[in-house]
Amino acid sequence: MRRHWGLYLFPIPALALYLAFFVLPAVQGLQYAITDWDGFSPTFNRVGTGNFTRIVTADDQFANALGNNLTFLLSVVSGQTVLALGLAVLLAARSRGSTALRALFFLPTVLSSISVAFVWRFVYDPNLGLLHSLGVPGVFLGDEDTAILWVAVAQIWFHAGQMMVLFIAGLHQIPAELYEAAHVDGAGRRQRFRFVTWPMLAPTTALVVAYTTIQSFKAFDLILGLAGNPPRSSLDILSTRIYTTFANSQLGYAAAESVVFMIAIGVVTWMQNRAARIGAGR
Amino acid sequence: MSHHVFSRRDLLRAAGLAGGAVALAACAGPGGEATPAASGGFDGPVEGELSFAHWRAEDKDVFDQVIASFVGKHPKVTVRQDISASADYQSTALTKIRGGGVGDAFTAFRGAQFTTVASAGVWTDLTGQPLVGAYEPALIAAGAQGGRQLGLPYQLVFNMPVTNPDLLARHGYADLPRTWDGFLGVLDGLKGKGVTPIAWPGGDSGNGGQLINSMVMNNAPADDAFAQVEAGTLKVTDDWFLTTLRQYEQLRPYFQDGATGTANEAAMQLFATGKAAFLATGSYAAGPVRKLGARFPFGLYAPITVANPRYTGIFNATFILGVNANSPKRAAALAWLTHLSDPAVAAVYANGTSQHVTVAGVEYTNPDLRAFAPWLTEKTLLAPRFQFNDLDIRTAVEEAAVKVVGGTKPEEAAEAAQRVVDQKR
Repeated sequence: MRRHWGLYLFPIPALALYLAFFVLPAVQGLQYAITDWDGFSPTFNRVGTGNFTRIVTADDQFANALGNNLTFLLSVVSGQTVLALGLAVLLAARSRGSTALRALFFLPTVLSSISVAFVWRFVYDPNLGLLHSLGVPGVFLGDEDTAILWVAVAQIWFHAGQMMVLFIAGLHQIPAELYEAAHVDGAGRRQRFRFVTWPMLAPTTALVVAYTTIQSFKAFDLILGLAGNPPRSSLDILSTRIYTTFANSQLGYAAAESVVFMIAIGVVTWMQNRAARIGAGR
Repeated sequence: MSHHVFSRRDLLRAAGLAGGAVALAACAGPGGEATPAASGGFDGPVEGELSFAHWRAEDKDVFDQVIASFVGKHPKVTVRQDISASADYQSTALTKIRGGGVGDAFTAFRGAQFTTVASAGVWTDLTGQPLVGAYEPALIAAGAQGGRQLGLPYQLVFNMPVTNPDLLARHGYADLPRTWDGFLGVLDGLKGKGVTPIAWPGGDSGNGGQLINSMVMNNAPADDAFAQVEAGTLKVTDDWFLTTLRQYEQLRPYFQDGATGTANEAAMQLFATGKAAFLATGSYAAGPVRKLGARFPFGLYAPITVANPRYTGIFNATFILGVNANSPKRAAALAWLTHLSDPAVAAVYANGTSQHVTVAGVEYTNPDLRAFAPWLTEKTLLAPRFQFNDLDIRTAVEEAAVKVVGGTKPEEAAEAAQRVVDQKR
């Protein structure tokens, strides 16, 4: 091994890139989080934990964005998982038309999020929109109480096809013998789903939920495309809040919000992992 | 054979050392003293490649024409347009401009952005330069600070509702009243005849927010009322703003259905197709509405909310031109700005982009600009919404109006906005 010490040189380029483009900005972000830097001026003051104290105790807009984000997250994760699983179960078997339908449901995934936002702006417009022309009453994105749910619908439409593909792959991994055994034991269609399909899809479901959670936190461009910049409070989520703070010449405060954002993602991810382990009986 | 493999402890130690080194390197953040605006430095040669940084991609072709005429006068110069999206201008472009990498000549928005650039010392003082004399003095105050002319607001827009005079005349409203009750009467009459009185993009914060300018222009106790709200000397729970919100409440039946969820494109479409009599955004919408197929003439009208109005409308002077204090090509940058300030050149820009300009003596040939031209001499107020330096406060105050149109009580909406103001101050 000693003769092959040169092997240790191989990770250096990757480590250097990782340090330069991830570790250094992250450390700098932490450093700015304790300042009042506006992101432009040559000077700033160090404010200690002041930014964090303000975020936690005296920033209703951040609390509102966190609440909206959690509502959005729960709506998208539940809606998208159920829809994707349903589509996968319906379309997993190769039959006439199933390939075309899979392609149709997968199609939105290949669009850019800004294009999706413009499509749904048209769908939701209360005067000229598709829903209006179909006779569905509502202000949609202009309704303070439900606006974030309408964005969740757009997000589910956008990514359900992608999750459907993951579920179809998971369904194809389930051994046919299990279904045969269940059938021999007299299990009906519902029981086969409940006692074979659902447990066997647990790892795929955990993956889909984790991936959907990350997408929900990253829904930034879809929100800005639908709501405009800056979005009004009913559509503000953590990522858009941080961007608005940054655009508001408060880079130090935005950095502190980013740290809290990172902690929020960490907590949600930990809770998900915990739930998945409990679900798997570990 | 002796093996030495990295243990987990070795790896953690190495990562710790690397992290420490990175942390030390990261401590080199911005520092030093704030720089005052530079002055002078205009004596060099007018030559080299000049970078002109701005956000108006839609003006690129017109600027190319203007650049061609500039290069004709100064053959040793080339001008490159460095265009960034307006939404990213604050976060990325201005940082590059401050570094001097781009933007020998550059632009900034009026308000918070102008102030930020000024506090960083990036403007070069233009006070006393001959080109300043080419502008209407009353229209370039937004580019001045502390008695110095740091930048020159180039565009002049009217942030008040655009009208369809043909439609109004057809229904007997050729002359619009200058009283609040009279205005409500017109709106009621229009609604009764099946016309959407006001198309308002309440779902678009940038465009929907413009209506607040004319709603407060006569209600506010001072011309700088919004600056005072931000400073804490006035509150949005005060009578003048509550009156404004109550007037928004009165307008509620006269906006199109679902106004709080309407995007700008949809509001423009309603207006362009002749279904709405007013488009509550600003004169800058004329070009896009024409592109949507509008064939009727345009007018402007701002609601008059009090018995004895001080103002009849709103204007804004923005797209503030400046010379970068960190540029080694200040002489060439000044020559470029001087060229833009020539009334003949400014006319090419104005007529080509459907924007009025603050340069004096410009001849407008564009029919829409000619239609709006009488407002150049009206008693208009510099748009109040740009007095806010804090975007969160501005959004909260404007959102109060949107909430009222959506059904919230004025007092409740005002209190919610004031809470944000108090927290953000």
